[in-house]
Amino acid sequence: MIELNNLTKYYDNFRALNNINLKVEKGEILGLLGPNGAGKTTAMRILSCFIPATSGTAKVAGFDVFEDSIEVRRRLGYLPETPPVYMDMTVESYLEFVGKIKELNKKEREKRIEIVLDRLGLVNNRDRIIGTLSKGYRQRVGLAQAMIHNPEVLILDEPTVGLDPNQIIEIRSLIKDLANDHTVILSTHILSEVSASCNRVVIINEGEIVAEDTVTNIENKALEKPSWHIILKPAEKQDWKQVITNIEGSELIAVSNQDNVYDFTLRLSNKDDFDSLFSKITSEGAIFRCIEPIKASLEDVFTKLTSTDETKEKPVSTDENKIKETSTDESKGKQTSTDEGKEEK
Amino acid sequence: MKILAIMRKELESYFYSPVAYIVFSAFLLIVGYLFWFILIASKYASLEPTLYNAAFVLLLATPVLTMRLISEEKKNKTIELLLTSPISPAEIIAGKFLACLLLYIMLLALTLQYPLVIASYSPNFDWGPVISGYLGMILLGCAFISVGLFTSTLSENQIVSAITSFGILLLFWMFGFAKDVLDNAFGQILENLSLFERYADFLRGIIDTGNIIFFVVFTLIWLFMATRLLESDRWR
Repeated sequence: MIELNNLTKYYDNFRALNNINLKVEKGEILGLLGPNGAGKTTAMRILSCFIPATSGTAKVAGFDVFEDSIEVRRRLGYLPETPPVYMDMTVESYLEFVGKIKELNKKEREKRIEIVLDRLGLVNNRDRIIGTLSKGYRQRVGLAQAMIHNPEVLILDEPTVGLDPNQIIEIRSLIKDLANDHTVILSTHILSEVSASCNRVVIINEGEIVAEDTVTNIENKALEKPSWHIILKPAEKQDWKQVITNIEGSELIAVSNQDNVYDFTLRLSNKDDFDSLFSKITSEGAIFRCIEPIKASLEDVFTKLTSTDETKEKPVSTDENKIKETSTDESKGKQTSTDEGKEEK
Repeated sequence: MKILAIMRKELESYFYSPVAYIVFSAFLLIVGYLFWFILIASKYASLEPTLYNAAFVLLLATPVLTMRLISEEKKNKTIELLLTSPISPAEIIAGKFLACLLLYIMLLALTLQYPLVIASYSPNFDWGPVISGYLGMILLGCAFISVGLFTSTLSENQIVSAITSFGILLLFWMFGFAKDVLDNAFGQILENLSLFERYADFLRGIIDTGNIIFFVVFTLIWLFMATRLLESDRWR
């Protein structure tokens, strides 16, 4: 349905996209994931015929975005970063206008306006001036605009930005519903966003695809270096920090101390190191008040994907021995329970 | 169809914002004053001097009406909607041009009271120059709007658009001055390019096909440039 071949885009001398190759099948929801400035918006703008590529081709529904731009635009709904709404129009007159320029006749227009107003929960706001709506509602009007002509392909640039948690859930389920007869590309810089609605993720960084996989695989990759948020009350005069730093590849991040209760993030290069660490610290009388596995964040995914293989492998071998030496039944039990917690989340 | 959609939207938004009302009141106030003043001073039942001076007021007023046409779409990013919809830049420009022209004609229609006032006091009032004068004003308006539409496409800043438009229109107005200074072919060329020399012909009751063609071609050239400029966003 969507095909990108060697797509490259330069803004003057700045390379925004470099040799992007990508295929999206019909009915698929693809998440474009990347930090700000990674090239997500650029890729979407090229697909929606708003800007041209410097080289390479992009095809939507078999039509080239440059050669047959009008045909592509007939089949495509696009929600840009800023919802393209006219502040002085009412929701309904705006959708009426968009329906007209998207070539819907009067009958279809009336029908589609009712459908999108209903699906986006805008029925009660149909007569309101868009300028008086909150950001979340404007975003919905922007989505309504993209869906009004029931296009085969939907391109949504950060569709849930500015929405409150309830609205985010609604919009995500809306996008999932759409997938049956639409192809959707959405961009985001929030990993959970992708896991909630997409089948497949493409991660781009500095204009290049660094990973292309299913959501679960990507998350697993990121978890190779597991982290925990820990609140620890050490035993008196216990040198707990030494215990941790003795483990190779361990990291203590953002340590804060209040009344001898420490709050920090622990990162280990091997998940199993936690067992030994736990038993060692608790055996001296310390109390763990909180052990919370941290889910992979986008940053982790990036560090993981961009780091070289050498740095990944080194610590693992040395740490395995240590676990065998020191693990106890108690700590094993604890570790399993945190593992379960991780999976539930 | 799509052109009409753009036109209607544009025309409506003129009246949602205060711009149209302000321009209308200022224009009518000034033209009303001119009409009264010229009539008192000359004691002559002619509309020619009023309409001649009104054209200069229109030169100042039209860029204010045209400045937002594309600039605002760029500023508010609504241009992304237009350019990613199955509508061509030519249709966008045409729709906007027609909306502004319609507004301009409404503005002119409000000044029809003045010839009516004169006609009611002078039984053998000559309507000929008035009709040709209004035709001239409409053609002049087409020229003004097309320049304004082009400059509005240049920048997302409305003020920049308006000032560029003033500059271009004033220049074309002043080309007419050249005939008094330059008595050669170059002076002749400049005079031919002058919008106001040609407009003055209409006020004298002369409908010259050459003048009509000049205004039509002038308008189409600027509209064409505006279209290309808008299109160029897509391939630049």
